[in-house]
Amino acid sequence: MSNQSENICNAETFNKLFQTYAKDLKGYIYFKTKDVDLTEDILQETFIKLWDHCDRVTYSKVKSYLYTVATNIFLNHVKHEKVKKVYQSNHVKGSTNETPEFVLLEKEFLEKIEKAIKDLPPLQREVFLLNRIEKKKYREIAEMLEISVKAVEKRMHLALIEIRQKIGNV
Amino acid sequence: MENNSSHKENETFFAQWMEGEITDNELKKIVSEADYLAFHKLKEGIDALAYLEAPLNKSFSSIQNKIDKKRKSKVIQLKRYWAVTVAASIILFFGLFSMLNNSNEIIITSISEQKTIQLLDGSEVVLNADSKLQYDKDSWEENREVELEGEAFFKVEKGSTFTVKTDNGAITVLGTQFNVNSNLDFFEVVCYEGKVQVNNASNNYLLTQSESFRRINGNSVEQWNTDGEEPTWLDGEISFKSVPLKYVISALEKQYLVKFDTTKINAKTIFTGSFSSNDLEIALQSVFKTMRIDYTKNDKNEYVLRHNK
Repeated sequence: MSNQSENICNAETFNKLFQTYAKDLKGYIYFKTKDVDLTEDILQETFIKLWDHCDRVTYSKVKSYLYTVATNIFLNHVKHEKVKKVYQSNHVKGSTNETPEFVLLEKEFLEKIEKAIKDLPPLQREVFLLNRIEKKKYREIAEMLEISVKAVEKRMHLALIEIRQKIGNV
Repeated sequence: MENNSSHKENETFFAQWMEGEITDNELKKIVSEADYLAFHKLKEGIDALAYLEAPLNKSFSSIQNKIDKKRKSKVIQLKRYWAVTVAASIILFFGLFSMLNNSNEIIITSISEQKTIQLLDGSEVVLNADSKLQYDKDSWEENREVELEGEAFFKVEKGSTFTVKTDNGAITVLGTQFNVNSNLDFFEVVCYEGKVQVNNASNNYLLTQSESFRRINGNSVEQWNTDGEEPTWLDGEISFKSVPLKYVISALEKQYLVKFDTTKINAKTIFTGSFSSNDLEIALQSVFKTMRIDYTKNDKNEYVLRHNK
């Protein structure tokens, strides 16, 4: 039966592989593209490729397969004139952005933000997470928490100032 | 420099800027250059973080859908020519991922898409946009039961009991035609033929031909009579009878790839009318003109709604 669980063409195995690798792969692609929509496209395309070639990919090599395919799709995108422009305009600030150091910096930056969010006072954190993670409008949050929209906005405003002070100048 | 943004009691501008209510240029005038740059970077970081931390199931179902579509190239997206293509597009679904949950069959429609599904007994389901239908193939013989999230029109072949389960309650029938719309706290069932029983947490209701049932947001149940032989959305017209505007707006978001900012309007205003599912501009006019609401696009490509004076 272990055969079946290592058969990528098996939908259950495929699902499991997705659950195992998708999150890290998404991060990897994001730090290359710096673009949420493009990241999502590449992530999906990569896994569709894996499914299309499920009978030709060795189970133990899935991880490196996924990263290679994602990188290739990304490079093809960059070649494409239009995308290239978007990519460049997104990166006017420096040409060194593809170096490992830069990626590390970016990661550190995000980790700092994450920590700062965790350290927010509970009321501010609640509003912040509802708005930024759950994508709720201030009005909806106000209704949920039974406070005024103004109060929600105040908490959000303070939360942002708080986070910005925690992470310092970047 | 760092504390240039020192807080005064009543200030909320960062909050408003986050939501696009204040533009970058406006913010530049309020805070120092250093603060502006720092907050800009912070916003990008927060957006990235939100995206990276977001659950992956949407991505997975989208992958699933794309794979499904490739294999079953016959799956036709019904939009404009629904009436013409209906006969051709009734397809038996043996999805790729049927192994996923034993023999669970899952059919998902994306925004602005409709699918016609023929069930194993010949019953027919038309699934409206952004909805999900699920059933167990193996136990179908003993148990005609489907789970629905969203909206669908059912034409059920006569036979044993047929049950539609939703988060808002279950609908039981023997053989009939009816429409179910279960979206979050909005629950509406319209019976077009035969008899339909609606069971929700507290009560049972029996609907006969042209009777309708509705419960919104836990309010009391409304019942009324409907004319017409099938829901108008099958012909590209989404209609509403005395429905709070927020549900109409969420229906628009399901039919078109659009987002609305409703913070400046009263979304509880009652709306009666319909909109076309083929033409966004006409749809926007028919909903908002009559409600005397202006819609303008902001830089995030959302329509900002405002009552006109």
